[in-house]
Amino acid sequence: MRKKPNLIGSLPNKKSRPTGWQILLIAFFLFYMLLPIVSTYVFSVATRWDRTILPEGYTLEFYQRAIQTSYFTITLRNSFILSMATVLVSLILIVPTVYWVHTRLVGAKPLLDVLMILPFGIPTVVLALALVQVYNFPPIARSPFLLIGAVVVYSMPFMYRPVSNAVQAINIHTLTEACQSLGANVFQILSKVIIPNIMSGILSGSLLVFSTVFAEYTLTSLLVGARFKTFPLLLVEYTRINGNIAASFSVISFTIAWLASILILWAGSQGQRPSKNVTRS
Amino acid sequence: MVMLKKFFRKISDWSGFFPFLIFCLAFEAVPILVLIRGSLIDRTTHQITLQHFLDLQGRSYINSFINSIKLSGLTAVIGVILGTIIGYAIYTWPSERTRKIFITLLNVTSNFAGAPLAFAFVVVLGMNGVITQFLLQWLNYELYPGFSIYSFYGLVLAYVYFQLPLMVLLILPAFAGIKKEWQESARSLGANSFHFWWRIGIPVLMPSLIAGFTLLFANAFGAYATAYTLLQSQFSLVTLKIGFLIAGEVRGDPGIGMAMAVLSLMIMGISIAAYQVATIRARRWSKS
Repeated sequence: MRKKPNLIGSLPNKKSRPTGWQILLIAFFLFYMLLPIVSTYVFSVATRWDRTILPEGYTLEFYQRAIQTSYFTITLRNSFILSMATVLVSLILIVPTVYWVHTRLVGAKPLLDVLMILPFGIPTVVLALALVQVYNFPPIARSPFLLIGAVVVYSMPFMYRPVSNAVQAINIHTLTEACQSLGANVFQILSKVIIPNIMSGILSGSLLVFSTVFAEYTLTSLLVGARFKTFPLLLVEYTRINGNIAASFSVISFTIAWLASILILWAGSQGQRPSKNVTRS
Repeated sequence: MVMLKKFFRKISDWSGFFPFLIFCLAFEAVPILVLIRGSLIDRTTHQITLQHFLDLQGRSYINSFINSIKLSGLTAVIGVILGTIIGYAIYTWPSERTRKIFITLLNVTSNFAGAPLAFAFVVVLGMNGVITQFLLQWLNYELYPGFSIYSFYGLVLAYVYFQLPLMVLLILPAFAGIKKEWQESARSLGANSFHFWWRIGIPVLMPSLIAGFTLLFANAFGAYATAYTLLQSQFSLVTLKIGFLIAGEVRGDPGIGMAMAVLSLMIMGISIAAYQVATIRARRWSKS
């Protein structure tokens, strides 16, 4: 089937300049998007900034104090633990399921798609309320394990889409049959052939889940609260105590998310070419 | 004999799907069902009742729903309009490298939501914020107390911040469905730019615009962290109210909270369903 040319790559005028309107709109867009971020960064290094347009002075004092706050390392550690645990559970839950549905149970794919859209339709507060009502008995009540379950639900779509796209991009049936004809069992097929071929999807999904969970506030504060303080909780706490330190925390969390985004984009671009070679010949 | 074999085969096929199904059951289906059941049962008599839903007619509850719907609707409309215009500006930007930079920027800023975003807006538009100072000193304009970032319109500004990239990323592929040949032939028939967009461009984009609106609406309706950081208890939204109930800060019959949650689910369900329908129709244009 012939593909219509993608307009993004084939504008008729070769090297025309952007119009006045474009420049105006893009300038407004950049201003609106970047000002809050830049202001936060600058605020975190400002001595005093409540009377002037630019800070009165600059200092790294607030970063020092930020790092020295009692819960700093604990919350960072908790956030990392939560994010890594969620990524792990998501991978174990979703990757085999996607593979299974694509090979053994194709009729369930619509069901799987719907189940993966569902988390978008459940507001986090509603999920929190529902979970708190059901799991109000020890040991799971208000425990980090309940939180992990909730956060896996919340982040499922972000793991599912890259993995599903990657699985659909490779010729999974041919690969599976080839492996089976060589006598491999399911685990071997998955670990030695399938997973390496969808690695870019797995990486993208993992990084997406990681950065989403790292910044998650609602479920954490409503389900476990101070029992398992994560970094976003510390940040919100300090917005009411000391704005400059809160800004430092913002910078740290945003920088981590920013790095994860870059890695996601890098991971997404990996493995595009190799998998095509596997099936073309 | 064959039927038995087929039956067992089917069971073994589905058994591979069970772990995931059980997980969804435990953490999604059962809690939601319990929620729905809880909203329909009276605490004391254990009888089915619609009283919790009827109680939602109370002033404060109605207000929270009105506010949430107003907020979500307004930010969705602003997001769709601005997002489409800015999306088009990006789409038709001549340099492809710069376009990619813009798109990267969109992906990166979409991470900046929730509490850090709310706080950033306080830094920018708070009582001593950057823009506030700028308006005061350079243009002699006092932003406060007429405007406050800790108000409805302040919240709108913060919400649009994360609505905008979502819309732009959604509408960009849709522009590929508007063929350049159409614009040329329309021009050769005497139509100017406005005519083209009014009669051809916008109708073709319409499914994507509707998809964008419903997605942005659902996105805003379910948001909690940004509003919580900016407002605390000054302004009532549905998500905030439910949150207070969970945190035990409000003495109230949990049945009402569950009724609110169920109603929210219905509103979200309608939005997501509309989004799915609109997306399927939008895909028709980009496939042709």
